[in-house]
Amino acid sequence: MLFPTIEFAVFFAVVFPVTWLLNAHNTWKKVFLVAASYYFYAAWRPEFTLLLLVSSVFNYGAALLIDHFKYRAQRLTVLWIAVAANLGLLGYFKYYNFFAASLMNAFGAIGVKVDIGFIEVALPIAISFLTFHALSYIIDVYRRVIKPTTSLVDIMFYIGFFPHLIAGPIVRANKFLAQTVGPRDPANIRLGQSVFLILGGLFKKVIVANYLSTGFVDGVFRDPTANSSLDLIFGMYGYALVIYCDFSAYTDIAIGVANLLGYEFPQNFNYPYRAVSVQDFWRRWHMSLSSWLRDYLYIPLGGSKFGTWATYRNIMITMALGGLWHGASWAFLIWGCLHGTALVIERMLGITGDHTAAKRGRLATALGWLVTTQFVCLAWVFFRAPSTDAWLGYFATMFSGRNWSTSVTPFVAFIFALGALSHILPPRWFAALEQRYDEAPLLVKVLVPFVVIYLISVAAPAGIAPFIYFQF
Amino acid sequence: MKHTSPTEFEPPRSASAPRTAAIVIYATLALLAVTIPQSVVNWLADMNGNPVEDSALRGAEVMRNLSQRAGVATVYQRARDIFIAISGVEPD
Repeated sequence: MLFPTIEFAVFFAVVFPVTWLLNAHNTWKKVFLVAASYYFYAAWRPEFTLLLLVSSVFNYGAALLIDHFKYRAQRLTVLWIAVAANLGLLGYFKYYNFFAASLMNAFGAIGVKVDIGFIEVALPIAISFLTFHALSYIIDVYRRVIKPTTSLVDIMFYIGFFPHLIAGPIVRANKFLAQTVGPRDPANIRLGQSVFLILGGLFKKVIVANYLSTGFVDGVFRDPTANSSLDLIFGMYGYALVIYCDFSAYTDIAIGVANLLGYEFPQNFNYPYRAVSVQDFWRRWHMSLSSWLRDYLYIPLGGSKFGTWATYRNIMITMALGGLWHGASWAFLIWGCLHGTALVIERMLGITGDHTAAKRGRLATALGWLVTTQFVCLAWVFFRAPSTDAWLGYFATMFSGRNWSTSVTPFVAFIFALGALSHILPPRWFAALEQRYDEAPLLVKVLVPFVVIYLISVAAPAGIAPFIYFQF
Repeated sequence: MKHTSPTEFEPPRSASAPRTAAIVIYATLALLAVTIPQSVVNWLADMNGNPVEDSALRGAEVMRNLSQRAGVATVYQRARDIFIAISGVEPD
């Protein structure tokens, strides 16, 4: 079920009032929201709801067992088994074919024919995100950040809650489970903020991401060598806008929808293309993933505690695995390693810590922004290109400078500008809009979403493509 | 677009917020269903067709006819035609 559809509007029109009517009966409310979330997930492939259920029951039991044992070695053993089971499930569905093909190719290269076969099974949507949520829970229980819950419903709710289920944001177990202990305070609803997150998300996805993809970027990436150098440069920047507008749209809507139901999700994007270093970029892009990788991978590896080279190694491992998490292909691994290398180079050059203009000077900040933006956009080419040949051809043609004509239409240029506005407009404008909305009469509160959605519908393409991060 | 930090602006807190939100949600959906009724008809027509969906489809068709007669639905179609003419995107 996609957010920008009538199907979801009808679904939410039922879920919203029932949730608040059941608010005084917290357990029943959670049971209802679990049922609604499983229905939401089943709209894609009903059989995979079993995966949600099995993951919830398994991690519920594992957490209780970790808490049950007194000695660290016992707790650690259970944790490792639980982590291996979660990653094993993810690995089976997501990476088996990739590693099988890579292994067979490697043996083939030295003249040994090995056939370990492939599996033919659809990748369950959201498997990466539900694994992140499950791991966050069991690791936090192991670290004694939280006590394990004795309620299976709470874990089913945490892992399966429909706004974050498919593509995040990744909500930490301690933050979410604290919200499940009692009825939610209706005063927690921030109507203006939720409405503008949802409307902004619809605009970014339905208008900017869709038209920029179908009108230009998809064509450029389909056969890069058939395009001019200038179009490939525009395609690179275009994809940077597409992936931002697509992914941030999903999480903005998710945050808004969750808040209307009384739950708080963490912020996931903060003007990422305003970053003045790659480290700054990762503090602004997919913030719930980068902080997850920091807390559950980088720091357990040792973080920056064991000297310079160990820090560089830990950064590279974290970013390589972060890249590979996005998908089973060498291009994602290269993308992750590129970002890891950039982070290491920044550390070598001492570009860490405070990135503000006041500390670094205006020129250094401007230069930092310029270099970071070019690097991030170039790296996106690996992320988007469907094969090694495709990104090789993309870069070869782009840097050949052989043709400077362009197929960008005035409409596509206009959409480009709209996408860029998402980073140019100052945040205080959005805050002021939300404030005005919250203070406005009820009629205005109704007319604003109606007019915006009406205008989006007038300009919407005929079909809405799934969100890019659904595949991850 | 930024998810505004709660520290930047504290909206008025009200225990009746769910009621206000419900009015906004239902009124918005109702206005959209009246002004763009064809999309509801198309959505229901794509379903499998059990008795409930058939009844809903008949209801949506009645609403579409009323909306067209009142000239409300045609405003949307005209606006869309103008957008397609200006933007050059493929017609539906």
